[in-house]
Amino acid sequence: MIQCDVAIIGGGILGCFAARNLMRWNISALLIDGANDVCTGITRANTAIVYAGYDNKPGSLKAEMTVRANQNFDVLCRELAVPFSRCGSLMVSFGPEGDRALAKKLKRGIQNGVNGLQLLSGGAARELEPMLSADVTSALYAPTTGTVNPWHLGIAAYENALQNGATPLLGTAVTNIRWDERGYIIETNAQSVRCKMVFNCAGQNSDQIHQLLFPASVRLQLDGADFLVLDKHAQKPRHIIFQESEDGKGITAVPCTEGNLLLDSPARPMGVPYATTQEGIAFIRRTVADILPDVDMSQVIRSFGAVRPNPYTVDERSIHDFCIEEPVPSFISLIGIKTPGLTCADELGKYLAQKAAVYLNVSAKANFDPCRQVSSSADDEIICQCEQVSRGEIMDAIHRGAKTVEAVKRRVGTGMGRCQGSRCSHQIEKFLEECRNGTL
Amino acid sequence: MEHYDILIIGAGAAGIAAAKAAYQAGSRSILLVDRKAEPGGVLLQCMHHGFGNGMNGPDYVKKLLAEFPVEISCHMNTSVLSVTNTREAFLSGPEIGRKTVHFHQLILAAGCLEIPFGALPIAGTRPTGIYSAGQLQELMNLHAFLPEGPVVILGSGDLGLIMAKHILDAGIPIAALVEQKSSCGGMARNQRFLVNAEIPLRFNSTIAEVYGHPQLECVRLSDGSVIPCRTLLIAAGMRPDRTLLHRLGQPEWLHLCGNCSKVHPMVEAVVQEGKQVGYAAAAALNKTIEKR
Repeated sequence: MIQCDVAIIGGGILGCFAARNLMRWNISALLIDGANDVCTGITRANTAIVYAGYDNKPGSLKAEMTVRANQNFDVLCRELAVPFSRCGSLMVSFGPEGDRALAKKLKRGIQNGVNGLQLLSGGAARELEPMLSADVTSALYAPTTGTVNPWHLGIAAYENALQNGATPLLGTAVTNIRWDERGYIIETNAQSVRCKMVFNCAGQNSDQIHQLLFPASVRLQLDGADFLVLDKHAQKPRHIIFQESEDGKGITAVPCTEGNLLLDSPARPMGVPYATTQEGIAFIRRTVADILPDVDMSQVIRSFGAVRPNPYTVDERSIHDFCIEEPVPSFISLIGIKTPGLTCADELGKYLAQKAAVYLNVSAKANFDPCRQVSSSADDEIICQCEQVSRGEIMDAIHRGAKTVEAVKRRVGTGMGRCQGSRCSHQIEKFLEECRNGTL
Repeated sequence: MEHYDILIIGAGAAGIAAAKAAYQAGSRSILLVDRKAEPGGVLLQCMHHGFGNGMNGPDYVKKLLAEFPVEISCHMNTSVLSVTNTREAFLSGPEIGRKTVHFHQLILAAGCLEIPFGALPIAGTRPTGIYSAGQLQELMNLHAFLPEGPVVILGSGDLGLIMAKHILDAGIPIAALVEQKSSCGGMARNQRFLVNAEIPLRFNSTIAEVYGHPQLECVRLSDGSVIPCRTLLIAAGMRPDRTLLHRLGQPEWLHLCGNCSKVHPMVEAVVQEGKQVGYAAAAALNKTIEKR
């Protein structure tokens, strides 16, 4: 039986930031995930956007957290040694109705305290972003919008948490939770865990984890989206481009920190989790020409599907704000956290950690180090030719916990280039095997 | 900084031919680099007898390397990170460390890249069991790997046909060879084995979706039919690898040969092109020396 003060169920970006922030206090924390790596679920497939915060309902928790989180993002990414690109965004409209909708969002953004928002004419938008279609009639420019790689950020938070004393328990799926006068007993497919507090950050399973002990207050309906990734050398916009659309069925174009252009379809029903759909891919291909006519779709190198959790009340009303359920002070569930979850992950982690500090009545940890320790591990032997990743970096990723080719990819980017791993995967499998056998 | 009159990137058939030709034309300052441990490029993984007079790839490489001049410098296990407009190349490898090399003429013989599965508009999951044809050729021929059957192959060009024969010869069943045109794309001699082979040929067809997680279970074709399989081989074609030329424009000191110039079906044409480019590079060098 493992003992700890706080058990975090779910090692996605929310769980990782909960763990990191708990380490600011004299609290022992255990991060539990069923997969053999962190950030393998919802964190792995999303738009990678750090939102400015103009689109949230004024007065909501999302509104307040997003602006604060956005302002803090440069510091956060410097601490965690993760690239962040504050490239700004343009939400573009095509015609008077769209123009009016953007004007409304501008007002909302100003109310929410977003800095630098401007409503631009089509011409001014094109001056800022020459790749935009001539049909764009106006654009809402938000200079504070940015992009970060979501799984790099989550893994960085995880490593910083471990560095400061958090304990991981991966490959362990929660099967049941009981409680007694001393606290909680979490049963899993392996060891049991005894703890005083539980943070439920279980992503697409967060409603079910909550219902292990408490009546259903929030239900999740999962939907999906399709993504296309273009080669780094393909011409791309300088800014994140949102397509304003009345029914929310617009696409998004993101020039990612790695240099690839990411194209996102609107939400659609989820079929097979993380699978792409023909319709979604076709929709992106059709629509991108209307907004960015010069994007060369023959440069697509990969497609993937996302899963998004949508929280609903038990009587089927959509919940628009962050769902933080606290049925008792010692059990907090983050249920159905979606946009702007990535942006607010650290803020949500801070919120949870502060709750723990109060409940457990502990002091701040004097030697908490917010800066992730990174070693320069690159050497001269290039293994992934497309992304120019060396043997040293791959071995470092394996030592940091990567157990599969996918996990190495998530840490150092191997296999994300033009050949999509067809030239380096075998060699990386060999390194993993040799590490497992202890022959390296 | 080291200087070479001619830098040749890629020691496959094209690069070897270019090096020998430049030497024959009088150049004595030549550097040939390749990311692999041995010269030969993709030929090293080609075990079918499709080269010269019925030789396999490695034997053909031996023939190309016969009497290879020792004065030609070679750096194997060396990657070229980038090339600049000021005629510098950044090299990296365990034997040489990191090195910048200046050159007068550059011959790019970097070969081609396969169109990956991810570039195709195929919906569905992303399971294990999906390989590109060249990737599986290397795995089978150099690493004793056997894919799990049944296998579905997408694309009936030369490489798709060659791999189909390999897979059948290894005793692994092929559930379908899917081709978007109305007939096989590859050369007649690569199609010969089909006469006696039990491979369902699906022409005017493409793959719409893949199913299965974490492992491939089946594919759905454009006509709606579902084919159970454990391996999907993507032989969708190749594109010249011009990655290193990304910011260079078209300087007069740059020469392309082999599959990075255009994808060649026959190695003899590659060797011929390499020779021409080797002579041209040496000639350009001589002209400059004469001018001085």
